[in-house]
Amino acid sequence: MDRPELVAEVDRAWARPVVLTPVFALISLVGGALPSFSLPANLLVLGAGGALFWLGMSSALPRRPAPARLPRRAAWWLLPLLLFGVVEGATFLNGSYAYPTLSRLADPVLEHYWARAAGYFGWLWAFWAMVRR
Amino acid sequence: MTAGQLLVASLFAVAITLFAGVEIVSRREGSRVPSLGDVCGVVMRYRVGPLPVGRIAMFGFWWWLGWHFLAR
Repeated sequence: MDRPELVAEVDRAWARPVVLTPVFALISLVGGALPSFSLPANLLVLGAGGALFWLGMSSALPRRPAPARLPRRAAWWLLPLLLFGVVEGATFLNGSYAYPTLSRLADPVLEHYWARAAGYFGWLWAFWAMVRR
Repeated sequence: MTAGQLLVASLFAVAITLFAGVEIVSRREGSRVPSLGDVCGVVMRYRVGPLPVGRIAMFGFWWWLGWHFLAR
């Protein structure tokens, strides 16, 4: 009986969570201390985002397979997406502080060091998850 | 926090809870609802000719989002 050949794509050592978690944590701990509108904050986001963008566009890393097409039940995702879009769109067009956009609501929270560091950490991991798709 | 701000914050909280809820449902065994990762994977596979438009759009959006919230 023929045995199909098994092909396993092995992650590069630096692409494993055990390596990336401390790297992302370090970037986040530094980023948390950088205030908005500062040059270092801009450089950090542009540099880290640019590196992940470049990695995602290259074929340096194996990608997780995606389904060939989405089933009809994928429409459930429209529910939170539309609610989010309508609220964000309405508050953006309204343009007042009485009904703030998400970024205006988040600004006072992101002024705190740990919230900002957590924001960086989540942003980097989500970016990485997309790079692997 | 004013009543208007509270209303908007509540609506965003509902949307985020719905995102989490659909993701939890998608991860149940035998679920026919795809995960957010699968939805993103399909969107990111979209190409126009040789150009990976879906990938560029998703990365570009996420890059901008980080800049908007964390750097601007």
